Amino acid sequence: MFDIFFVQQLVNGLSVGFIYALMAIGFTLIFGVLNVVNFAHGEVYMIGAYAGWLSITIFAPPLFVVILVALAVGALAGFSLERIAFRPFRRFRDEASLKSKAIREATLLSSLAISIIVREAAEKIFGSNMQTIPQEYLLLTPIEIGPLTFASGQFLIFGMSIVMLGGLQWLLKRTQVGLSIRAVANNPMGATYVGINTERTIIATFIIGSTLGAAAGLVVGLYQGAIFPAMGFAPGIKAFVAMVMGGLSSIGGAVVCAILLGVAEAVTTSFFAQGWGDLVAYVFLVITLIFFPTGLFGGGRDRV
Amino acid sequence: MTHRRNFLFAAVFLAVLAGGAYAENKTVAIGYHAPLSGENAQYGVQFRNSAMLAVDQFNKSGKLPGVTIVLKFEDSKGDAKEGVNIARKFSDDQSIVAAIGDFNSTVSMAAGQVYAQTHLAQLSQTASHPDFVKISPYQFRNITTMDYESPLVAKWALANGAKKIAVVAIQNDWGQTAAANFVGAVKVNGGEITDTEFFNPGTRDFRSIITKIARGQPDAIFIAAFYEDGSAFLQQKTQMGIKQTIYGTSSLSEPKLLELAGPAANNMYATTTFLADSPEANVQAYVKSYDARYGSKPQMFAAQAFDATNIVLSAIAAAGGANATRAKVRDALAKTKNFPGVTGITTFDPETREPAKTLTKLQIQNGKYVLLK
Repeated sequence: MFDIFFVQQLVNGLSVGFIYALMAIGFTLIFGVLNVVNFAHGEVYMIGAYAGWLSITIFAPPLFVVILVALAVGALAGFSLERIAFRPFRRFRDEASLKSKAIREATLLSSLAISIIVREAAEKIFGSNMQTIPQEYLLLTPIEIGPLTFASGQFLIFGMSIVMLGGLQWLLKRTQVGLSIRAVANNPMGATYVGINTERTIIATFIIGSTLGAAAGLVVGLYQGAIFPAMGFAPGIKAFVAMVMGGLSSIGGAVVCAILLGVAEAVTTSFFAQGWGDLVAYVFLVITLIFFPTGLFGGGRDRV
Repeated sequence: MTHRRNFLFAAVFLAVLAGGAYAENKTVAIGYHAPLSGENAQYGVQFRNSAMLAVDQFNKSGKLPGVTIVLKFEDSKGDAKEGVNIARKFSDDQSIVAAIGDFNSTVSMAAGQVYAQTHLAQLSQTASHPDFVKISPYQFRNITTMDYESPLVAKWALANGAKKIAVVAIQNDWGQTAAANFVGAVKVNGGEITDTEFFNPGTRDFRSIITKIARGQPDAIFIAAFYEDGSAFLQQKTQMGIKQTIYGTSSLSEPKLLELAGPAANNMYATTTFLADSPEANVQAYVKSYDARYGSKPQMFAAQAFDATNIVLSAIAAAGGANATRAKVRDALAKTKNFPGVTGITTFDPETREPAKTLTKLQIQNGKYVLLK
């Protein structure tokens, strides 16, 4: 039972978990600051993958240039998303509107609307089937370490998660932008009172979060050999589950829970069947919410 | 005065009626539903292409003078509820004398319940679940079922020397019958099944499943999947260093699989009812006209749709063209015998309405499908 195949399953589970974590990082960042779920994050992930694929088919540049293209397009997408779906709901500056939950929830629907529009547009333009990726770019070179088989993509995903997580922590703790992000996340009205430019901070958050999401989409698309318009949906749901399990505003917590979900899926496939993997993930979510309502790593939140 | 007015009205009324009687081109409609959005949208688009090609060729050929066949296409989204709604809509539309659809067995069977009640003949070009034609005398199909195809692949794998086989199948009606029939045939013929794994539609990461079946050390692997899942599976299996041969069904005889999977697809075995490179005259004519109009070569499912449409068209002609009623079209369909389609000669059994067709065996060699004897 606990043989080398089980270890290989753990490796598979970890790599799937890091995929979810990549998506969860950007997702949680945006949620932490604005306290709204960004349903369009899955589509930013998909846009990053398509942008990278387009640059591969048009220019065929080396891999790191492709990633840079995805990052740039992600930043642009995040900026546009914020402008179109989130900014119009913040134009009311009176006290009642600023504290209104309904206006916050309206952005939930507007981001959902944008996600549907973007996905359907991609289906119309590119077709809903998977795109052919040239063999040299597929991150599927097998790397054998002892009896275990890894793919080059798995190392890249793992490396990217560490860099993203570390980079984000550094950004949040050591830079001015990070300080204002943390301030706005804690108490947006208070941040405005002390002179922080909330608008700029929110834009910065979206750009950072979407950049991370787009890079994630590209790398995962190349690793799974599958780039198609609906690719952001399934990881998006898992990222959301990871975020809720981890405590809504804890990025590290979301990453840990995402990895946990991935490993749980792989182990479930190993002992039962692949179809039960999703069930296990959602059971985890329900159990977490029953026993840890603020998530596994979440603390209290002050919102005035 | 009133007499004159009434006479005028009567004259105009009769003139309109007479004019109507002399009207050219009665339209007879075929309702077609397939997924144009969602997971299997690429198949629905190909079905529509083939069906429009078939209908246009038929209308131009003048086989039914004075009658224009119209194709009414609806998007079933691959959803059973939507299929039921569309079936009701088609049943209410009196100009529709036959329905074609859907892509997968689940939606076809759901819509079939409606067609059985409203007595509208339904021909599915690809639903291969054995229970589909058992719903009522109004269900037909022109693709062989997995009752026939899976045991054929099973015997083929055993004949090639594989004794222990692992099965990986998609979790839906089709995948379940494909797997169940394969497993049954292997066991009856003395082989051993090491694992039967089902994966949810939409899965793109098969590494956990691959690791699990590798543990059982099979000689070969049978997959019941479509080309997107299949190509991801083949690539990931190659990356993980699993060397066993793959046996697939006709769902994998699709040129896009070669593009997506690249060299990972080599040495895979599959069955098919249609090969675009076949030298037969009607196949070549179809491939050329499809390519000229749509810019790409048709594959097996598109060819199935082309044949399905043509079978319905000839049934409408046999049932009287402009005077075809739904009952007559259904009876004409049941009498289809030796229909010369691009997917082979098709005959419907008048009792069970199951099609009799032949399947050819292929292997992928150097990125191409090669016919095996």
